[in-house]
Amino acid sequence: MRFFRGFSTSQKSCKAACSLVKPVHHLVKVDKSKLSPRFEELKYAKNDVRSPGFRPVATHQDRISEHYHRTVQPDLLLINYSHNAQIKKGAKNREWDYSSPYHLNRQPRKPKGSEVQLPDMKPIKWHNIPELESIVVNCYVKESKENQLLPVSAALQLQQLTGCKPQAVYAKTDVPSWKVRRGTHMGAKVEIRGRPMAQFLSTLTEIVLPRIREYKGISNKSGNRFGGLSFGLTSEDVKFFPEIESNQDLWPKTFGMHININSSAQNDIQARTLVSGFGFPFNGPEKLK
Amino acid sequence: MISFRQAALKPARQPVLQFARGKRTKTKGNLTPAVQRVVTQLSVMSASRKQPKMLKLSREDFIKHQTIQNCWAVHQKELREKRSEQLRLQYKSTEKAMELLAQLDPTLFEAANASEAGKRFPLELKVPTEYPPNQIWYHNYKPKSE
Amino acid sequence: MRFQLLASRGVASASKPAKIKAGLILSRIPIVTPDLTTLERQYYEYQSELERRLMWTFPQYFYFRKGTLAEKRFLAAQKGPVSKQPGVWFPKGVPDIKHNRERSLKQEVSLPQSSSSESNEGVSKKDDISRPVVPNSRLTHADESNDVQSLERKLSSTLYLLVKSGAGKWAFPSFPIATESAPKQPLHVTAELGLRVLGGPNINTWSVSSTPAGVLGDSQAAEFLIKSHIISGRFELQSKSQYDEFAWLTKNEIQQRVDNEYYQALSCLLADD
Repeated sequence: MRFFRGFSTSQKSCKAACSLVKPVHHLVKVDKSKLSPRFEELKYAKNDVRSPGFRPVATHQDRISEHYHRTVQPDLLLINYSHNAQIKKGAKNREWDYSSPYHLNRQPRKPKGSEVQLPDMKPIKWHNIPELESIVVNCYVKESKENQLLPVSAALQLQQLTGCKPQAVYAKTDVPSWKVRRGTHMGAKVEIRGRPMAQFLSTLTEIVLPRIREYKGISNKSGNRFGGLSFGLTSEDVKFFPEIESNQDLWPKTFGMHININSSAQNDIQARTLVSGFGFPFNGPEKLK
Repeated sequence: MISFRQAALKPARQPVLQFARGKRTKTKGNLTPAVQRVVTQLSVMSASRKQPKMLKLSREDFIKHQTIQNCWAVHQKELREKRSEQLRLQYKSTEKAMELLAQLDPTLFEAANASEAGKRFPLELKVPTEYPPNQIWYHNYKPKSE
Repeated sequence: MRFQLLASRGVASASKPAKIKAGLILSRIPIVTPDLTTLERQYYEYQSELERRLMWTFPQYFYFRKGTLAEKRFLAAQKGPVSKQPGVWFPKGVPDIKHNRERSLKQEVSLPQSSSSESNEGVSKKDDISRPVVPNSRLTHADESNDVQSLERKLSSTLYLLVKSGAGKWAFPSFPIATESAPKQPLHVTAELGLRVLGGPNINTWSVSSTPAGVLGDSQAAEFLIKSHIISGRFELQSKSQYDEFAWLTKNEIQQRVDNEYYQALSCLLADD
């Protein structure tokens, strides 16, 4: 049997276990719009004033970030200080011992006690103090499987609350028990950073959350292990946003939403301390680990 | 020809469809109120007929704009570096203090180096506002007797 | 290994008992945002004008239903753009109007006066949404009278509590560690308790961390500085204390009052004005 290379396909011509020659095709992605001489202004970056998508960013003082830099950041440095701390290695993939010939081309061995590799925990120093990165607000409307008009209203609600353009959310898979079919328009989400994020945060902590009856705070169990916290607002809570409260007749139906706060903290413990610095209450026993 | 003229003279008897350029032939009345509301909502989010004209800066204005942007970028960079340098000094200062404390008193050092997991900023520490509140400071604090 | 280290240190300290003090950097965090520099103010102005110019047209048909009284009132309050006329020369370009907005300019939306305020003025001023917003002044009485003992001064910067000792030297308050009590109190507890003794019990503070932020002195007599924020209440210097006077000062004012050496050691821990 002779080895030959099929250049048009990555399919192996002779059925070896793997191809020893990596395909070279399609490695370089070409953005053909950049090659065209038409629409010169579309080639500028979004922050260039000549681009049609230009929008100024720093239009006012950002009081949340001022507060962070003046008060929260130095305090977090001190709170997270640990003397002579070393990098704590996260669980990593292991090597096979190659006692069997089948180990040769196997997937790497899973780390001990975890399905996936975990990142290293670095000691907090002046350059990696946790900070807020973005907030993702998503709104999944269950009833939209019957009424396809609802996701549009949900998207508009997010746009009104955040001031940024939302994206549509579609059902990923068929779920027969919920009567959800793949590809159905189910809601909206929006990711906000910078000044819109600060605006949304301060509205939330200063106007909305204090007015929710018997609001206890974000659960201490919340978190994705790597510095992201999430909590939810019901459709009743959403009515406390001033944008909706002052136009109640426009909003016969409001939609509950999930708010995910992404930070550069390395675990949830650091993230909760950080987020509490912006006036969020927390509730429940602290979850260590 | 004659019949057409007659029809034009007496339009009241038989309604004649008159086509006017640009006039809508379909009425919006067919839509139910719920659908109409969603159409309005979609148009609020869409860019159509709402976008302003693009900025057309002259060469001089463009250079001015770029100068301003560069100046701002330099200002931000200086701020960033200043903050970073101050935080570095703070870290070094803490490190120095902890080293000395470890030499002088191991028990105090252990207490000072304890993990602070679960630390929360108090809710009373408010994010500064642009203008002060009506009551600037709460003076009459009394500790709760336990 | 660790045990050996601790043991050796224990021996060292036992041979020469060092004087350890807990200092307290008590700060009042800013209440208003920092003052803008000229550069910042002008840049923000420029950018927000650009943003207004590039903003989409305000969708008034969403907020004011067609044919309602509210819509009429809103439209009456708008100034309205100049429309295109045949045979007229427009020096700043032919108007291009869509949705009642000149597309080459920023849109100015003005809110209508609420009906109640039009009919009987002065009666329901509070209900009028379009009444002018009058903010409180960023300068307070304490600023005018330069009352350094007030917590309501210099709202835009961080204030620190400094005390003047009998020798006339300004410094952060410091408290010696009680050596008699068998289980030693941690530094931040000593500092907080000392503050209550010095300034009365009606004070609410929050210790940032049990870790000292800095140290003054050497291994013979060391003062470890604990950071803390005052949340509410007041600091009233008790009589019979070793200090004569106290003041709430910003970083710049601290520099003027304390020795240069003392300031250099601490300046990195203090927030700029």
